[in-house]
Amino acid sequence: MYRIIAGDYERVGAASSELKGMLKRAGAEPTAVRRAMIAAYEAEANVAIHSHGGEMRVTLDEGVLDVEVVDAGPGIPDIEAAMREGYSTAPAAARELGFGAGMGLPNIKRNSDRFELESAPGSGTRLSFRIYLAPQAAGCRAPVWLRVAASRCTGCLRCLRACPTEALRVRGGRPQVLEHLCFGCGACLAACPAGALTLEGVEETLDRVAGTTLIVPAALLSQFGARFGPGRVLATLAALGVAEVWVQEHWEQALREAVAAVAREEGRPWPVLSPVCPAVVSLVEMRFPSLIRHLAPFASPVEAAVSEAAGRDAAVAVGCPAQCSVLAASRGRLRGIVASSLLVQAVRRQAAEGGRGDASPRVPRPEAVGERGEDVLRVTGARRVIAALEEAENGLLADVPVLELLACEEGCFGSPLLRGEPAVARWRWAGASGAARPAARAIRRERAFAARRGLRLDEDMARAIAKLAEMDRLLRELPGRDCGLCGAPTCRALAEDIVLGRADAAACLQRRLDKEDKR
Amino acid sequence: MCVTLDCLAKALGARILTADGSGPRAIERVYAGDRMSDLLNHTSPTALIVTNLATAQLVRAVALLDGSAVCLLNAIVPGPELLRAAANSGTVLMVSPFDMFETCGRLYDCLRRERSASPS
Repeated sequence: MYRIIAGDYERVGAASSELKGMLKRAGAEPTAVRRAMIAAYEAEANVAIHSHGGEMRVTLDEGVLDVEVVDAGPGIPDIEAAMREGYSTAPAAARELGFGAGMGLPNIKRNSDRFELESAPGSGTRLSFRIYLAPQAAGCRAPVWLRVAASRCTGCLRCLRACPTEALRVRGGRPQVLEHLCFGCGACLAACPAGALTLEGVEETLDRVAGTTLIVPAALLSQFGARFGPGRVLATLAALGVAEVWVQEHWEQALREAVAAVAREEGRPWPVLSPVCPAVVSLVEMRFPSLIRHLAPFASPVEAAVSEAAGRDAAVAVGCPAQCSVLAASRGRLRGIVASSLLVQAVRRQAAEGGRGDASPRVPRPEAVGERGEDVLRVTGARRVIAALEEAENGLLADVPVLELLACEEGCFGSPLLRGEPAVARWRWAGASGAARPAARAIRRERAFAARRGLRLDEDMARAIAKLAEMDRLLRELPGRDCGLCGAPTCRALAEDIVLGRADAAACLQRRLDKEDKR
Repeated sequence: MCVTLDCLAKALGARILTADGSGPRAIERVYAGDRMSDLLNHTSPTALIVTNLATAQLVRAVALLDGSAVCLLNAIVPGPELLRAAANSGTVLMVSPFDMFETCGRLYDCLRRERSASPS
């Protein structure tokens, strides 16, 4: 913990400097140290310039750096304005020293992998950011690329019910993600009507996308109804300043061929799991570690596309938190990562202004290898994917050469960031004649797949079994209605929370009411 | 495709104020600006930072990001605090007699000449 003194511009950088020493000793990668330094220095300067003094708290754990900078006020009246580049309320004394350019907060955000800012006038400001110090660290930890805006949460509990792995809780008026249970499907994002859950680590505007080679999911191009087909979307993206569009489908196809080849190898255990969906890979690592050896050793299509784009000015439109997570390591090579939803809005606005380009006819696609073949069993939608993985784990799918699992309904056509009906969008996608046809290859993974903590209750099996027994006992006492009012999605989840110390036994409202009735 | 710091200093007729402890430094690019945030983003071991900000904070921030050299402008005379910060961090400090525009022009010419001369 480092103290930062208000108005003491002389010492700005002192805390960051100590942090740098710590990171170097921890063996952090130079690029990560650099990002940490920019973010920490800006945060420190902010406290010295704007607050009555504060402190910087640093946590370093398994290659993940978490920095929290807290001050005692006066707080930020308008966070949205403060996040705009060029907006500044710094005093003249600070400006003379080159501070107060209104770039601090955006700069911290751009250089961190996770960024949270909470402030209220009169109280104080809490800024926290996370940086993955080594590329593999991003993957070892849960791919939680969700930003929680507590002030927007209405407590509707929809995210709780949407989550297929029961990784969410709504407590203290805000959604919390249990990182070890989240696999990044983003179902909660789609379920949240209040905008309290948004994607983390993406650009707020399209400024940085201009002039780039933009890598998009095919689904983005078939979102806009019958009269506004892929060709027109491409023309609209060009009008928005995108230099070239690469559709991820090419790499999906390349991966499909590579995985099919793996399935034909002698002695390969079937089913070979295709790593096409990064969320599913994460799910396997978390919940089905026995199936890790079934995963074909390739990177996901979006990673392969980014690797192919090396040396270009490239940006990626992502469809879910899991994609953000696998791109964490290549972030430095990209101009930006944008949420597909932001592009959808931009295309709609442009279309409303008259749009550009002609209506494109449905272009027949070349026969996709394996997509319809009997060799590939394709399952989409998180709950059915989990069911299929359970069957595979029980050895019931040994006759299936390739298992292609996609966390969203209809694959990326059902992305949580896209609103179009997945089946319709999928049908309407027929390849876009105007899109670039880059040479697509599947690429091998650099990091081996690795099991995560997942569902285990305790590292020690004996203790885990004891906890399981305690959970069973609790479960018999709970009403079993899965009402969600305690903030956990099911009574079983609450029992687990109580056993693991995440919740109090008194959290169950029903049980409290019953007790009062008896009195 | 780089130029030594001495070569750039010569092109400016600049004075080098703090000794260069680790031999000749190679510079690949020059970045000029007067906003701390911009400078933070563009500092690197092979960049020369050109700025009007003659402050100890600037030198410390540059050192934090492993920057190696700072060029101040308008023949300014840096204060003792600044000189001490530069000496402590091993940052090469030089002062150009020109303003930012003229300085950058000369640096640009020098870099381009050297690049076209050295094939790589």
